[in-house]
Amino acid sequence: MSNDTDWLVGAGLALSAIAATAMLQPSPPRRLERKPASLPSRPGPHPRASVRAARRLNRAAGMLAASVLADSSVEHYRGSFKNKAMYTPLAVSALTLAMSAHGTADRRPWAHRLRDGSYLLAAATGLIGTGFHVYNVTRKVGGFSWQNLFYGAPLGAPMAILLSGLLGFCSERVRDTSRAQRPHVFGLPAARTIAAVTAAGLLGTSGEAGLLHFRGAFHNPFMAVPVTLPPVGAALLFKAAARDPGDDKTRRHPLTRAWMWLLAAMGFAGVGFHAYGVSRNMGGWRNWSQNILAGPPLPAPPSFTGLALAGLAALGLMREHPDA
Amino acid sequence: MFVDISDDPQATPRAMAGRAPDVFRPGGWVPMRCHRDDEPVDFVIVGTGAGGGTLACKLAEYGFSVVALDAGPYFRPLEDFASDEAEQTKLYWTDDRITDGANPLQLGSNNSGKAVGGSTVHFAMVSLRLRPEWFKSRTLLGYGADWPIDWREMWTYYEEVEQALKISGPITYPWGPKRPRYPYRAHPLNAAARVLARGCEALGISWTETPLATLSAPRGLAHPCVYRGFCVAGCSTNAKQSALVTWIPRALAAGAEIRDLAMAGRIEVDDDDRVTGVHYHREGRWRFQRARNVVVAGYAIETPRLLLNSATDRHRDGLANSSGLVGKYLMTQSNQAVWGLMDDEIRSYKGPPSLAITEHWNYEDNGKDFFGGYAYMSQGPLPQLWANTLAQARGLWGARLVEEMTNYNHVAGLKIVGEMLPQERNCVTLADEVDQYGLRIPRVTYSWCDNDRRLIDHSLAFMTRALQAAGAKDIWAQEDDTCHLNGTARMGDDPRSSVVDADCRSWDIPNLWICDGSVFPTVGGVNPSLTIQAIACRTADRIHAMARRGELTGSSRRAAQTRTASQMA
Amino acid sequence: MHDRSRPPAIPDRYPGYDVLTKRSGPSWNDKTREVIAERLSVTATPLFLSAGEFQLVRAVAARIVPQPSTRPPIPVAALVDRKLHADIADGYRTDGMPRHREAWRRGLRALEAEALTAFHRPFTELSEGMQDQLLQRAEAGELKAADWGDMRSDDFFKRRLLRDVVLAYYSHPAAWNEIGWGGPASPRGYVRLDANERDPWEAAEAEPGHEADAARTNRHVR
Repeated sequence: MSNDTDWLVGAGLALSAIAATAMLQPSPPRRLERKPASLPSRPGPHPRASVRAARRLNRAAGMLAASVLADSSVEHYRGSFKNKAMYTPLAVSALTLAMSAHGTADRRPWAHRLRDGSYLLAAATGLIGTGFHVYNVTRKVGGFSWQNLFYGAPLGAPMAILLSGLLGFCSERVRDTSRAQRPHVFGLPAARTIAAVTAAGLLGTSGEAGLLHFRGAFHNPFMAVPVTLPPVGAALLFKAAARDPGDDKTRRHPLTRAWMWLLAAMGFAGVGFHAYGVSRNMGGWRNWSQNILAGPPLPAPPSFTGLALAGLAALGLMREHPDA
Repeated sequence: MFVDISDDPQATPRAMAGRAPDVFRPGGWVPMRCHRDDEPVDFVIVGTGAGGGTLACKLAEYGFSVVALDAGPYFRPLEDFASDEAEQTKLYWTDDRITDGANPLQLGSNNSGKAVGGSTVHFAMVSLRLRPEWFKSRTLLGYGADWPIDWREMWTYYEEVEQALKISGPITYPWGPKRPRYPYRAHPLNAAARVLARGCEALGISWTETPLATLSAPRGLAHPCVYRGFCVAGCSTNAKQSALVTWIPRALAAGAEIRDLAMAGRIEVDDDDRVTGVHYHREGRWRFQRARNVVVAGYAIETPRLLLNSATDRHRDGLANSSGLVGKYLMTQSNQAVWGLMDDEIRSYKGPPSLAITEHWNYEDNGKDFFGGYAYMSQGPLPQLWANTLAQARGLWGARLVEEMTNYNHVAGLKIVGEMLPQERNCVTLADEVDQYGLRIPRVTYSWCDNDRRLIDHSLAFMTRALQAAGAKDIWAQEDDTCHLNGTARMGDDPRSSVVDADCRSWDIPNLWICDGSVFPTVGGVNPSLTIQAIACRTADRIHAMARRGELTGSSRRAAQTRTASQMA
Repeated sequence: MHDRSRPPAIPDRYPGYDVLTKRSGPSWNDKTREVIAERLSVTATPLFLSAGEFQLVRAVAARIVPQPSTRPPIPVAALVDRKLHADIADGYRTDGMPRHREAWRRGLRALEAEALTAFHRPFTELSEGMQDQLLQRAEAGELKAADWGDMRSDDFFKRRLLRDVVLAYYSHPAAWNEIGWGGPASPRGYVRLDANERDPWEAAEAEPGHEADAARTNRHVR
């Protein structure tokens, strides 16, 4: 492998970092609260609530895509882009990121065909990537062994782009149904569906972190955090998803919301911990060309932030739409 | 501020005046408790490697006063170790020695060390347990000699050492009784290890990641392995869990004193047949450290040499030698290899040399025409070692050598650690010539027996098949190599047929102990370092128990009284 | 027995690779820089061997590790001399072998005597074929002139001469380039460990017909 791919990785990292920061900027204050006079008044929550939830989901999908872009840039660079298909997640996550940024800024209450398409592409990429990674692991001598699960292509990693695609796709469905009595995804109540998907994503991501932290022998007690907090968050989300829609008292989920904020913060704190981990390796940051690759992955933890944001979006929608 | 006259650790001792080098910080120091020569300490230990270093730590932690001598320098790996094979020969014991016999041994590199930490400073970190049956190989398997220790007891000490060294190993070990999970995960396999794995899978035998004493994750101030591949030239990363960076810092913290560049020349013994201390050479003069107990831990050559060089009129054949067995039953291990060329780029210089292993022929007794067993591992020779192997073992020189060397990145090899049988005729004796200290140098005599040859032939044939099955071409066998040294002061149940008892205590002199690979009655087909350290841990526990019962002649009772304090430490 | 008299046909498998370009990067630590700088600064003036012995070692080394004319030669004899000067021993000698300094002195004297006996000329003035012939006879233990004393010629050839010359040659960065070895590696080691994987700081091996590609990659090795 030539060294010419260095710039690509650098670009991927820079782009994802900028995007992740941008994603977290509070949406510009809406100074002009124009009343959409064109819409007839009707019973039930205002569609703006659904659009807001959809935009939050775009932001969550974008955060995940940013994490995937950075992570796959680094990891596939480490893999020397031996297979041309290894460029795919970079391109797709960059596209997903752009589409999510677009979606985050877009207040129109209907789905966008290009965004829809790119989210489906992202989901498909995640599925196919998982297939590639499974193939990579099984063809190594030892097959499905701890060795290959630890050090072969990570089976869980492509799931992040799949989740990004799914959340984005859900976002578009929420927009599409924002004027309906009840935002839904394929007929399922949107908020609860998204909460469940996010909870599953949290469990999977936590499992991935658990595998890799087990590889590191949990040598630092803080390594237990991403395997304990997210499953609790997932349980809370599942509980929220399974709530009785008729019970108004349980619609706000303050604990679950707080937990999601905790997970979002954990995702960013994780980058700090991983940066410390890189510095703990031989040569520290001076030996960055080895330690960025061999140390704990810097871009991985923000995927928790992405999922937590999705959880918050779902909870927000739940609060405003009793039966979503 | 303390000013060094010389910062050359090979020229001037570093551990003095209340401080010792901090191995984790370039230029750093840690405090060290110091003793006067005329102040009798509970234990003076000769040697600071797998045996002596471990014992110094454990005894100090039990509250005994300990002075440990090492003839070698006190290195700080982070600043003193170059990435260079030639430079790093400074880790080897290269004093004059004579080898003879039908199969004279090669010494000086892979089987000896002259540094604080001993040969664990440059060992290949392979940390294996002996097969349980080997502790009773005479009774159960019909060869060699029985150990006076039960394997179940050893199992607990193996666990203690594996935890102390944070061994990185596989989740499940394919052979032998169940063992607890290794504290750290196995390292990633390099291409050379995958060649071994493919060969094993093709021949239908198990393989696994080698349990290694090198970190796969950070530990305290030690960095994890960076796969630089210079393991046997010394680890400048501190990932290698040598005695230098594990037991010895613990020993210092518990109050032990380490004296570097201190060569022991003679053990003093009084008329009551008690040892009283050790004469040692440091800073250009001979000195005498008084002690209530002396532990010899100089490995299989220097240990008998010191005992033999300490002969007196009352002990004409050397100390602890009423059995006549000091220096006898030297055992090396066969270290033959099969090498071949792969189409793939292997670049085996990356990573620890032996990342994958099969112990199949240690645990499988069917299909053998020999006693004992062998493990084989993947290999990663650096250029000087590889060139010398091609020259010595394959007889290449001239254009053939230089051309063959350009295949370096495609070489894959499998190498055994094989059991050799104990034979009384294989021995360490004293030659008439003297070394730079004026001490008589050792003569090391070694001849293989028929069983040794049959084991080697079996292994070479099997590994050739394995390498073929893995796709290697131009396969050839390296038939001459040997590695670790053991025996020469064997332990046993009977004073007539052994030098020390199960507690490593001399049968003849109750305050003289021997604690290193010399005490092995048999070697098995695995690298000995883990077993040496386990024995040292056991010895420390036994000494501690004896001290509490007042059975430790000449030793202070302080240890028993301070037991609680040390347990808290 | 293979023909040793032809010049080496060293294939340029790692074109453009120079391990010394990594010298100031993270793959080398200060101690390594110091050690290698000293090795590279070795001059052709012997410190231990006499001038005559030194010429003889040069001639012998040229047969043991023949060097291509396309690069400055590795000063093998000088490196052997420095090791003797520093008195760096192996840590053992077989029965009958003198210590390493004495073994070299005696072996060189005996080899010279054998050359004079067999060809009536000093070793350095013999043809390469004749030199190889003498070395092969030493290797086979067939040389028995009185100068050998109780040291066997095959022991001297294998355990002293061959060993020291080969180790000297492969202690030099120019030899590392030839074989595509990554060279010193601390603090930075390696990341990509599997078959056919190379880190950007390792030598790229040329596929036949694509030497230019490898050379281009190797120019970026740091």
